[in-house]
Amino acid sequence: MSVDTKRHAAVVNRVDPLEPVPVLVGRPDDRELNQTLFAPVWAKTRKGWLVLFALALALTGLLFTAIGYTFAVGIGAWGNNIPVAWAYGIVNFVWWIGIGHAGTLISAILLLFQQKWRTSINRFAEAMTLFAVIQALLFPLIHLGRPWFAFWLFPYPSTLGVWPNFKSPLLWDVFAVSTYFTASLLFWYVGLLPDLAALRDSSKSHAKRVVYGIFSLGWRGSARHWRHYRIAYLLLAGLCTPLVLSVHTIVSFDFAVSQLPGWHTTIFPPYFVAGAIFSGFAMVLTLIIPARKAFGFEHVITEKHLENMAKVLLATGLMVAYGYLSEHFIAWYSGNKYEQFVFWNRANGPYAPVYLLMLFCNVLVPQIFWSGRARRSIWVLWIASILVNVGMWCERFVIIVTSLHRDFLPSSWAIFKPTVVDWSILIGTIGFFGLLFLLFLRFVPSVSASEVKELRRELEHEAAPPHPVERAAR
Amino acid sequence: MSSVKRIGLPVVGQDGPDDAPDCRGADGRRHWRSLEEWSEGAAAAKAEFPRGAAFLPEALTRRGFLQMLGASAALAGVAACRPPRQEIHAYVRHPEQALFPGNPVPYATALARHGHAVGLLVTTVDGRPIKVEGNPDHPESLGASGRLEQATILDLYDPRRIEGFTARKQPKAYRTLLRELATVAATHEKDGGARLRFLTGATGSPLLLDLRRRISERFPRARFHAYESLTEEATADGARLAFGRALDTRLHLDGARIVLALDADFLSDGPSALRLAREFAAHRTPGPDMSRLYVAEAHLSTTGAAADHRFRMKPSEVLGFARQVAAALASSQGLGDLARIAGDAKPTREASAVAEDLARHRGASLVIAGPRQPAAVHAIAHAMNAALGNAGKTVDYAAPPTEEPAGPRQLAALAKDLAAGAVETLVITAWNPVYTAPADVDLEALLTKVPDVLYLAYRPDETSARATWVIGESHPFETWGDARAHDGTVSIVQPLVQPLLESISEVELLAAFLGEAEKGAYQLVQDFWRARSGAGAAFAARWGTWLAKGVVEGTAAKGEAPTVRFADVAGAAGQPPPKAEGLEASFVVDKLDDGRFAENAWLLELPDPITTISWDNAAMVSPRTAQELGVETGTRVELRLRGRKVDAPVFVAPGHADGVVTLPLGWGREAAGPTATNVGFDAGALRGSQAAWIEPGLALAPFGKRKHKLVQTQEHFSMEGRDLALSFDARAWEEEGPKRLEHLRGAVNAMYSPFGYDKQAFKWGMGIDLAKCTGCNGCVVACQAENNIAVVGKAQVARSREMHWLRVDRYFSGPPENPEVVSQPLMCVHCEAAPCEYVCPVNATVHSDEGLNEMVYNRCVGTRYCSNNCPYKVRRFNFLEYQKGKAPLEKLRMNPDVTVRYRGVMEKCTYCVQRIERARIAVRASGQNKIPDGELQTACQQACPSQAIVFGNLADPESRVSKMHQDERRYDLLHFLGTRPRTAYLVRIRNPNPALSA
Amino acid sequence: MATYVLAQFQDEHALCEAARRLRELGHTDLDAHSPVPLHGIDEALGLRKSAVPLIALVGGVLGASGGYLMQFWMNALDYPINVANRPLHGPPSNIPITFESGVLISVLFIVFGLFALCGFPRPYHPAFDAPGFESATVDALWLSVRTDRTRAEGITHELERLGGTKVSTVPEDER
Repeated sequence: MSVDTKRHAAVVNRVDPLEPVPVLVGRPDDRELNQTLFAPVWAKTRKGWLVLFALALALTGLLFTAIGYTFAVGIGAWGNNIPVAWAYGIVNFVWWIGIGHAGTLISAILLLFQQKWRTSINRFAEAMTLFAVIQALLFPLIHLGRPWFAFWLFPYPSTLGVWPNFKSPLLWDVFAVSTYFTASLLFWYVGLLPDLAALRDSSKSHAKRVVYGIFSLGWRGSARHWRHYRIAYLLLAGLCTPLVLSVHTIVSFDFAVSQLPGWHTTIFPPYFVAGAIFSGFAMVLTLIIPARKAFGFEHVITEKHLENMAKVLLATGLMVAYGYLSEHFIAWYSGNKYEQFVFWNRANGPYAPVYLLMLFCNVLVPQIFWSGRARRSIWVLWIASILVNVGMWCERFVIIVTSLHRDFLPSSWAIFKPTVVDWSILIGTIGFFGLLFLLFLRFVPSVSASEVKELRRELEHEAAPPHPVERAAR
Repeated sequence: MSSVKRIGLPVVGQDGPDDAPDCRGADGRRHWRSLEEWSEGAAAAKAEFPRGAAFLPEALTRRGFLQMLGASAALAGVAACRPPRQEIHAYVRHPEQALFPGNPVPYATALARHGHAVGLLVTTVDGRPIKVEGNPDHPESLGASGRLEQATILDLYDPRRIEGFTARKQPKAYRTLLRELATVAATHEKDGGARLRFLTGATGSPLLLDLRRRISERFPRARFHAYESLTEEATADGARLAFGRALDTRLHLDGARIVLALDADFLSDGPSALRLAREFAAHRTPGPDMSRLYVAEAHLSTTGAAADHRFRMKPSEVLGFARQVAAALASSQGLGDLARIAGDAKPTREASAVAEDLARHRGASLVIAGPRQPAAVHAIAHAMNAALGNAGKTVDYAAPPTEEPAGPRQLAALAKDLAAGAVETLVITAWNPVYTAPADVDLEALLTKVPDVLYLAYRPDETSARATWVIGESHPFETWGDARAHDGTVSIVQPLVQPLLESISEVELLAAFLGEAEKGAYQLVQDFWRARSGAGAAFAARWGTWLAKGVVEGTAAKGEAPTVRFADVAGAAGQPPPKAEGLEASFVVDKLDDGRFAENAWLLELPDPITTISWDNAAMVSPRTAQELGVETGTRVELRLRGRKVDAPVFVAPGHADGVVTLPLGWGREAAGPTATNVGFDAGALRGSQAAWIEPGLALAPFGKRKHKLVQTQEHFSMEGRDLALSFDARAWEEEGPKRLEHLRGAVNAMYSPFGYDKQAFKWGMGIDLAKCTGCNGCVVACQAENNIAVVGKAQVARSREMHWLRVDRYFSGPPENPEVVSQPLMCVHCEAAPCEYVCPVNATVHSDEGLNEMVYNRCVGTRYCSNNCPYKVRRFNFLEYQKGKAPLEKLRMNPDVTVRYRGVMEKCTYCVQRIERARIAVRASGQNKIPDGELQTACQQACPSQAIVFGNLADPESRVSKMHQDERRYDLLHFLGTRPRTAYLVRIRNPNPALSA
Repeated sequence: MATYVLAQFQDEHALCEAARRLRELGHTDLDAHSPVPLHGIDEALGLRKSAVPLIALVGGVLGASGGYLMQFWMNALDYPINVANRPLHGPPSNIPITFESGVLISVLFIVFGLFALCGFPRPYHPAFDAPGFESATVDALWLSVRTDRTRAEGITHELERLGGTKVSTVPEDER
C-alpha cells in the first residue's frame, strides 16, 4: 500500500474546495488501484479472517439447528401464542429487510443523483443488501405452521383448484421481496463484471483465471459492451430506486392494512422506508469501519464517506422520530380509546423497557451527529451505528409484539416470552449474514476498482481543463 | 389378536356373532383361552401406572407418555366396540335411521352421581357413543347437560380403565370370579353375615336398593354403609329438625320472584342444578315478573356471580344472617312464628330489606340453604318458607329413597367395626373411599385389618392399591340398571355399547351375593321392573317406551308441605356457632366433583368459571386477608387444621369474604393417572368427619421463595371502560337503556356494499343472552366434545395456547372486595366482513354463501395472520401436534363428522357446520326445504342449561334467533369495526333492590 | 479467414484518432478495449444508440400488464369467492403486485438483453491471445481491428504509425 498522501495534498485542494475531506485520497494510477483493491483477494487468508469465519460458521450451525428443531416440532418451539401469533419471526424479517435497503439505495439513488462519494462504498453496500435479504427471506418460510406448503403462496395451477388471495398483503410481500432479491442480485452482478474480468486478467494461477473467466462471462472492456453496459446499469439503478421504496412500503402494508390498533395507520409506508434507510446505513457503517481498517482502504473509503453516512443517519433518524411523534399524535387526536390505549401501553405496559430503549437508540443517539467532530470520530460512529441497529430491532418488536399482546378484548390479553429457539434464530441469522459477508470480502473486490478508476478520471477532468478532442466528443 | 381387527364396527341393531374371534360369553364378555392371553392385558395394565408422573403434565412429555399409554392400551387389546346384545331403543322417531351406517343416533339413558340421576341422550355412531346431550323429557335435565355429564364420555374411553378382575393377586375369568364371589358369600351364611360389610356410595336406584334389601334378608347381620365425601347430612338433619322426619327439599324457581340463597350454589351444584338454572334464567329478562336473587356466601360462586345482591360473609356467619332475616320477618312483617327462631338477632339494613322483599312476595319467594350449612340454617330456611307460604308453591318436600344420608357418620360406624377387626369381607362399591375418607378416618390402615377387601374400581387408584380383590367396573354407558332423579323420577339406564374392557357393574356385583350374577344386569333390571310395574303382558311395550323416552312415567314422588316444628328449629337456631381462633376453612366442590373426575383431561383444562384457573386448585382468600397474611397469588403456604396439614398455592380471589380460606375438594390425587397425579392439592386431607364443610381454627403459613405457577386462561379482568360485556340495572334500563345501545348496533359506513344474502334459504346466525348466562362453562366442554378439540396441558395453557373454540370471558366491575361479574360466552362471531379473511394469502378462510366464515384446514399453511387480524381473538392455532399419541381406545371417542386438526393449521368455531349439514341432508331426504326452527342446535346451545345461546336461521323472520337480533337489548361486539358479526349479544339486566342500591 | 489486429494506446485521444483514421481507410469492424468507458469512443467507432432501453420498456409493459391480468383472472374470473365481503376484482389491492411484476420482468429483460447484445457468455475470445492484452481490463487502452488476413499487414503498419504499441495479429480460428 504505497500512497503518499502529501504528494497529492495540492491536487486534493484543487479537486473540490467545498469538500474538506476528499472522496479519494491521492491519485493512485489504475495499476496501483488494482493492486490495492484486489489485494485482499490475492492475499493469503489471514488468521483474523479465519477466526471470524469459524465463529460465523458456528452461529450459522446454530441457526440451522434451531430451524430444524422448529420444523420438527412446530412453531410451538417459539414463544408465539394467541394473541401474539407473530413475534420474533416477523420482527427479524422486517429488521433484516430494512437493513437490506441501504445497499441498493446507495448504489441506485446516489448513482442517479451522481453522488461521487457513492462509488467506493456501493459494492460493499450492495453485497450487504444481498446477504441481509437472504436472512430476511428465511423467515416467511420458517414462520409458517406448515412450511412444506410454502409454495402455495405462489400462483400456480394447484390440484385444490383455488388460487392465492391477491387481497392479502402477505402475498404482496412474496412478490415484493422475491423481486427485490432478484433485482439486487442482478444489479450487483452486472456491476461486478468489469472487476471479475480484471481479476481474471491479473490472476496468477490458471485455475483462478478459469474460474474468474467463467464468472466474468468474457468481458473484455469492449467499447461495444461498455455502450450497452452503461445504459443497462443506469436503467437498473432507475428501476431499483422505486423498487427499494416499494419493498418496505409493501412490508409496512402487512401491518397498515390490518385492523389492529398500532398497526392500522397510514403513516407506516414512509415511516418504514425511512426506518429502513436508517438501519441500512447504520449496518453499512458497522461493517465498513472495521473492513476499511483491516484492508487499508482508508484512501478510497475516506472520512468523507463516513461523514456523509453519518449525515444520512441523522436525517433518517429525524424522519423516524417524526414517525413516532405523528403516531402518538394521531392516536391522541383520533379520540379512539383502543388506539390511545396501545400507545399508552407501549410506554407503561410490560414491554415499556423495549420501547424506551428504542427511543434512546433511534431518537437520542443520532442527535450527536449534529456535531462534526462526532461525525468524524470513527469510534463514535461505529458505536452509534450499532446502537441504531439495536434500536431498529426494538422498533419492530414494539410495533409487532406490543400491539398484539393487548388488543381489543382484555380477556384475550397475554404476555409473549421468547424461547431459546427464538434467540438462537435471531443470533444465528447474524452469524449467517457474517459468514456470507466474510466470503464476499475474501473472494470479491469489496470496492469496485473499475468505478474508482472512472471516479479518478472524473476528478482529474474537473481538476484539469478538458482536452480539445474530448470537448469535441462532448 | 390385533386390536385393529377388534375395532370392527358392526351396524347398530345387529348382534355380534357368538363365535366372534374374541369368543364372547353369553352376556357378550370376552373370555380368554389361557392365562397367557389374559396376562397380555394384565401386563399392559401394570405398564399404565404413572411412573414419573411427577414431571407431568408438561404438555410434550405428557403427550409422549400418552403415546406409551396408547401402545400399552393397544396391547391390552381394545375389546370390540359394538352395541349391546340386548335390544336398546333409540330416542329418535325413526329408529330405522339406526340401520344406516354412519348415522348418529341418540339413545336415552341416565347418569347418577351421589344417588341423583340426570337423564341423558347419548349420540351413538356405528355403535360408538361419541356425545352426551340432555334428555328433554327428563325433569332434571330438560334437554340440558352440565360440564360433568358432557365430560363423562371421555372417561368411557380412558386407557387407564381397569380391564378384568384380580382376586388375591390372581387374575380371574368372569365366570371364575362369579363362582368365587358365590363361595365368599356362602362362607358368610352361617353367621348371618356378621363379618360381612358393604361400603357403598349414595344411591337412589330402586334396583340397587332392592338388591341391598334382599342381601340383608340373606345376611341379616351384614351391614351396608353409604359414604359420600360431599355429604348432605346437614341437609337431611335440617329437614328432620324442621319436620321431624327425613325429607328431600325440592325447589321450584319458576314461581319464585324473590330468592334468598344462604350459601347455596344451586345454579352449578346439586342434584337439580340444570333444571334450576333453566327456571332461574327464564325470569331474568326485564319485565314485571323479573326475579331478584340475594346470595349470602363466602367465596364468589357462579350463583353469587348471578346475584342481584351478594352479601359477603364467612360461612359461619350465614346462620346469624338467616336469623336476622327471620327477625326482620317476625318484627316488621308480622310472621310471629319466626320470632322465637330469630331470638335476640338484630336485623341489619340488608336483612330488613331482604325480609321486606320476601314478605312482599309471599308464596312467590324462596329461601334456599346450601348443603354446606349446618342443620340449623336448613331448618330456619324451611321455617321461613313455611311462614312465607312458599311451601307447596316454590318448594315442596318428598320422602328420600334412603332414611340415613350417606356420609361420615355411616363411615365412622364401619370404621369402628374395621378397627375392632370384626370384618372379614368388605365390599367397596363407593368411589375411592381411601382418598375421599375424612382425614381422621385412616381407612388405608383399617383396610389392612380386613382379609378380603373387594373393590369395584373403574381405574387403579388409592383404594385399589389396598384391595385384595380389584374388580373392573363398567362405565354407566356400558351396563343395564336404573336410576332415580331428585324428584323421584326413575330412568332405566340402558347401555349404548358392550363393555369396552372386561368389567361388571355394581348391580352384578351385589347380585353375586344373592347367587344371581349369572342372570346379568339386563335380566335383573327387567325382572325387577316387570314385578314392580305389575303389568304382565303389557310390560314389553311399556319397557320399550321407558327405554325410548328415558323416563318411567308416574314415578315422580308426590310433593307435600308438612308443618314445621318451630320450637325445635328455634332450639337449634339458638345455639351460637362454635367460636375459634384463626381463619375459617371452607371446603367447596369444584369441577372435579369429589375427585372422581380428577383424571378427566377436559375438566382439568377447563378454566374455573370465576378464577379461570386451569390445571390447578388453590387456597382462595380475599384481597384483605391476603394482605394481612402477607401472601399473594401463587405463594406456597402450609395449611394447618387440628394437626392435619397440607401445602397449597394461594389465589387472591375477588369477592371473597375476609378471614376465610376456600379449599376446593377433589384434587391432589396420589395414585391417579399421569394427567392427574399431583395436580393441585388435596384439601380433603384437612377435613375432619365432624365438620365436613366448615371448620374454624385454620392456620396458614407461607413457605419457600419459589411461587407456584397458577395458569389462568384469562389474566385481565377489567373491561378497560370498553363496551364489551354490557349490563344495566333494571331501572336504568327502563329509563334510557335502549338509547345507550344505539351506537352498538345497526348499519355502519362501509366502503363496500354488503354481500347479498337475500336469495339464500338459510342465513345462519346466533344470539347470546348475557342476562341468562350463568358462566357455568358447560358449553365449553360440550364444544370440546363435539368438535374433537385437543387438550394441550398446563405448560401450553401457561403459554396461552389453549384450544377451546368457545371461551367464557368474565369481567369484574366495582370494588374488588365484592365486584359485579358479567360472563360472556365468546366464539367465532362469523363476521360478514371478516377481517381474518382478506389477510389470508392462500384463501384458507373464506365465506360461505350462507354467511359462515369457513376455515379450510387442508388449505391452511399457518401464517397466523388471520388471528392477528381477528379483533375477537377467537382463532386457535395448532402450535404443536396436539392430537398426537392417542390410544386406540381414545380414538374411538372422536366425532367422525369433524376433522382432527394437525400441527400448523388454524382452527376456530364453525357454528357446528357438521350439524348444519346433517340437518340439511335430513330435510332434503324428507323432501322439505326448510329446517324447522330449534330442530338444528349447536353443541353449546344444546348443552346450555339456561338457554342463553340460540342458533338458527336469520332468513326466517319467525325464528328465535331472528327475534333475538330484533330484541331491544341486542348489541354487537366491537360494532364500530364494521365487521357485522352474525352473533348478537343481549345486554345483561340486573334487578337490584332499590332499598339497598340507594 | 478473419484475423484480429490489436494495438495498445497510451491515452484515449490517440486511440480515438486512430479509430477515426482506420475508418476513413475503410476498416469498419473496429473495437476498443479499456478498463473504463471512454469518452467519445462511440462516435469514433461509429456505434449506434443501444437497444437496451427499448428492451427494458417492453419488459416493463409485459410484466405489469401480465401481473394485473393474472390477478384479475385468478380472483375474479377463474375462482371467484366471497372473501371478507370484498369485491372480486379490487383494483387497489392489485396495484402492488402489478408494480412488482413490472419491475421484475423489466430487470430480467435488461440483464439478459444486455448479455444477448454483448454475446455473453463468451469466456474465450481470440483477442485474449494477444500478448499483453490482459492490461485491457487493468490500465491500458487497446484498439482491435477485425479484418481479412491479407490486409492485416497494412493495418499493422498503419497502427504503428498512429502510435500503437505492442501491435499483434491473432487469427480468429486459432485452435
